[in-house]
Amino acid sequence: MKRRDMLIGAAVSGAAGLATIAAVTQSTRALAQTAPALAPGGVLDRIIKEKKIRVTAEVTSPPFGILDRNNQPDGSEIETARQLAKDLGVELELVQVTSPQRIPALLAGRADVAISSLSITFDRAKTVMFAPPHGALSIVIAGAKKVQIRNAADMAGKKIGLTRATLEEASVPPIAPQGAQMVFFDDIAATMQAMVSGQVDAAGMSAFAAKSVSDRNAKAEIENKFTVRTAYYAAAVRPGDFDLLQFLRTWVFLNRQNGVLANIYKKYTEVALVDLPAF
Amino acid sequence: MKYVFQFGIVWDHLPRLLDGAWLTIRLSLGAFALGFVIAMLLAFLRTAGPRPLRAAIAAYVEVIRNTPFLVQLFIIYFSLPAIGIRFEAITAALLGMSLNFSGYATEIIRSGIEAVPRSQIEAGYSLGFTRLQIFRNIIVFPALRTVYPALASQFVLLMLGSSIVAAISAEELTAVTNTLQSTTFRAFEFYFVATAMYLLMAIGARLLLHAIYWTVFERARPVQQPWSR
Repeated sequence: MKRRDMLIGAAVSGAAGLATIAAVTQSTRALAQTAPALAPGGVLDRIIKEKKIRVTAEVTSPPFGILDRNNQPDGSEIETARQLAKDLGVELELVQVTSPQRIPALLAGRADVAISSLSITFDRAKTVMFAPPHGALSIVIAGAKKVQIRNAADMAGKKIGLTRATLEEASVPPIAPQGAQMVFFDDIAATMQAMVSGQVDAAGMSAFAAKSVSDRNAKAEIENKFTVRTAYYAAAVRPGDFDLLQFLRTWVFLNRQNGVLANIYKKYTEVALVDLPAF
Repeated sequence: MKYVFQFGIVWDHLPRLLDGAWLTIRLSLGAFALGFVIAMLLAFLRTAGPRPLRAAIAAYVEVIRNTPFLVQLFIIYFSLPAIGIRFEAITAALLGMSLNFSGYATEIIRSGIEAVPRSQIEAGYSLGFTRLQIFRNIIVFPALRTVYPALASQFVLLMLGSSIVAAISAEELTAVTNTLQSTTFRAFEFYFVATAMYLLMAIGARLLLHAIYWTVFERARPVQQPWSR
């Protein structure tokens, strides 16, 4: 019994990453079946009648969601949620969630809509309905100005720093040409340090990370070489909430037209929002 | 909680794990050899050198033993390039491990030197030996025999501690394991196998060190010395 406990304990800690993914997928399915019955007349009617919309708030992912000095949620996605409530003319209730809880909290009915930098993926689209994207997250190759890299092929013969277990670790090696050397670090700080100290010629990271490292190390003259991949994130609603989804479609359309979304993005990421595709 | 073990995937990546383990072994042996030479030199100068040099060596030992190995590695790998000294990750790892090991080994060997009876050293002086001759002919052998178990333990610690060089991108066993588990999500399986590999290497090292002890010190002992018991 004791041995089994130890084994389970080891499995829990050792396989945390996988376990979380598996657990979320499973609980997501379970919750989808047991989602509470919603008020008749659709969720949009209820939101307007109750004058309150509940939105997920994930506050451990700068610059999307953070806790400010007063421990209050802040960040581009929080601001986006505020804008949504304002445009609906209702009060905003933020439902604080962890990253793996974003979809389960929505499916369990704790929130009406998830606005927490959810990248649009096939797997997620099987459990929730996505609105058109309102933001983008780019993985770029950044490096010192003197390093000659203009595209993926130029990485041949260069050392490219990457952080383990990130989107860049998944996206850069597949496009790397023969002769490019991938150098792996355990955290983004070490990858940045390797780039600034010249231990690697360039490094893969999010455009936000590249911006912050370039701002803090003016002398190193870090610049973005090229964009590896862009992931788009969007608001998500429970399957079947077509009324709310249709409102969100319209809402994204209007706020893209009037520049509100671009302003929010720019304010928090200090990077210009790329052209968002719509669907 | 249900967890289905899939060791097949570890088998697929075994060559990469073995490459990593091989680098771990090479780094450990290299650092041991280099660190041992440095430590012998420092231990000699620490006990027989001029006073300022003794103080400098004592300071070196204290700095090495009282600062984190990770920070020492970061200084070699990330900070030295700022003053134009750039090492490859593996060279930086070897250098860091050697210096770190030499700090501990200097102190271990010094304790062995000081355990050599004073009368034997005085006997050497009375025969007109120089300090180096005394060190070579009277001190080294019994001193190393006395501290051999401590040095052997330190070597195993050095080998296990080499996992830290993954942080500066040296692709030894831990680094390879980290990369594989983060791309396959089979964390438990990969760490389990890596742990087993470290265990095997540590046991192998202990057996090897025991054999060396037997060959060098036991078999080569001509007569029983009173201080050897």
